[in-house]
Amino acid sequence: MRPFRAILALVLLCAASSASTAEAPAIGAAAPDFQLTTVDRKPFSLSTAAKSHKAVVVMFISTQCPYSNAYNEQMKNLANTYASKGVLFVGINSNKTEDAAAAIAHAKSHGHTFPIMKDPDNKVADLYDARRTPEVYVIDPQGKLRYHGRITEDHENPASSPDLKNALDSFLTGKPIARTETKAFGCTIKRV
Amino acid sequence: MPAAAPSRLAGELDAAGFREAIAREKGHVVLVNFWATWCVPCREEFPSLSRLQERNRAAGLRVVGISTDFASQKAAVEKFLAGRRPAFPNYRKKSEGDDQDFIDAVDESWGGELPFSVLYDRSGKKVRTFSGKVPIAAAEREIRKLLAAF
Repeated sequence: MRPFRAILALVLLCAASSASTAEAPAIGAAAPDFQLTTVDRKPFSLSTAAKSHKAVVVMFISTQCPYSNAYNEQMKNLANTYASKGVLFVGINSNKTEDAAAAIAHAKSHGHTFPIMKDPDNKVADLYDARRTPEVYVIDPQGKLRYHGRITEDHENPASSPDLKNALDSFLTGKPIARTETKAFGCTIKRV
Repeated sequence: MPAAAPSRLAGELDAAGFREAIAREKGHVVLVNFWATWCVPCREEFPSLSRLQERNRAAGLRVVGISTDFASQKAAVEKFLAGRRPAFPNYRKKSEGDDQDFIDAVDESWGGELPFSVLYDRSGKKVRTFSGKVPIAAAEREIRKLLAAF
């Protein structure tokens, strides 16, 4: 193979196997600001929301992913519980395979009252280097990232480490977050 | 009472077991594919991975599948493998322990998304990863170069 074609093939292979275009924001660094429209047609701005809340929890979610759906109840409960503590939960659906109508129906059937947004062309997912659903980011009032990762260690084990809850509880009481970054299996975000 | 059908899984792996499984294949080019029965793109690419294995087995490629399904899904895993009859061995990730420890043992750049594959050369060195489906044609070209490089 000619050298140019070999290089081009390698670049294309790298592009094909790369899930996003930006590195994930570091803990303590500025979380990328974004503006989207909720599925019920309201404007949402992360920076505006962050300034008026104790924290914003950005959740990349899916209507079809079993891993994301395994957390439907927890998402609802956490959002409702922490609302009274000044924390706003928002759901972002970046999957090209799931439209706004599906997102609305899914939210209704699972009692999700937190704002949900479609992410056209997965631009916000790319800004955050979000790879899977569910994947969550906790942003403080200054717009800095405080926690990134999973909701719990194991959705099948109720006793498993509630990492998101622990992070929020620590942050809201001014304590250091013990685990600021966590990982778990999930469904790839279906990008354009 | 009929005897239970033999498991189609080659075993269960934790992080240490994963490293041992890769080490055992030294001398071969290895493509490890992480999948789950609930993962649609995983199921979609399964047949193409089997064909990739069959085309390149004699030259020294070894495809290894690892299911990340939970213990409660074992029956679904067995049913899936019985139906697909893959041309490569499949393990199931052991259920206990922190997902993150396993994910990081495979590759620290892996965020836990599925499907996810890792390519190793004949010396056991990690060459690259694939997040999402493996782009078979391009990957096979790279695999064949690794197979040819003794």
